[in-house]
Amino acid sequence: MSLMSFLAPRRTAYGHCDIPCGVYDPAQARIEAESCYKIVQKYHDSSDEVFRQRCILVKEERAELTKHHIDVLWHDYFKPEHVEKFPDLHDTCWKASKQASKVKQTVELAEAKKLLELIDKIDSMWKETGGPAATRLQPSA
Amino acid sequence: MAPTLLPGDWLLVDPKALRSASAPRVGELVLHHDPRAPDRLLVKRVAAVEAGRLVVLGDARDASTDSRTFGPIDSPLVIGRPWFRYWPPGRLGRLRSLPAA
Repeated sequence: MSLMSFLAPRRTAYGHCDIPCGVYDPAQARIEAESCYKIVQKYHDSSDEVFRQRCILVKEERAELTKHHIDVLWHDYFKPEHVEKFPDLHDTCWKASKQASKVKQTVELAEAKKLLELIDKIDSMWKETGGPAATRLQPSA
Repeated sequence: MAPTLLPGDWLLVDPKALRSASAPRVGELVLHHDPRAPDRLLVKRVAAVEAGRLVVLGDARDASTDSRTFGPIDSPLVIGRPWFRYWPPGRLGRLRSLPAA
């Protein structure tokens, strides 16, 4: 046993107060991103300039929410051991965040679709790291 | 508990310090079980002493989750009084009691 491990405390106490609720689900990001996708469709289908303007406003708001939900998964749900399992985890989350920014900027349906695909990739990592059982309330709970 | 305590500080805790009739006093630090999740230990500062219960507050008042959230804690939840920081070397020293804010 090294001197440092001999001296190290046996118990850990918390003085800070962040209590993460521990509930995570990429569905949250997915729903906002689907809103973006459908709004872009409606934007292109309409010739009413006022309606189109509103589409852009709402899409930007939803894209921002998508980015927020992606970031929460990235910062709070995923742990170092998940990165070991999925070496492209950081890159995928980073690309998804950036893609949400892209969707905020444009009215290209292809960009909105790309965002959905990236979220689905995050979703499969969440599922394969035990996310559904670990982070959602179970029906009987 | 910033700025008094920072993540990674190593503390000595006196488990007997709170057994005397006058303890704990307002302004002292206490190590106690989180009443919402007893496996989790917290360090807070005593703001008031009621019959058999303590009102505890964090020093980082605007960010702290403490008795304002979980109410006064029952005395048996208290484990001891952190009194000395032995790591990191740059901040080694006694932990002082502070007047109630």
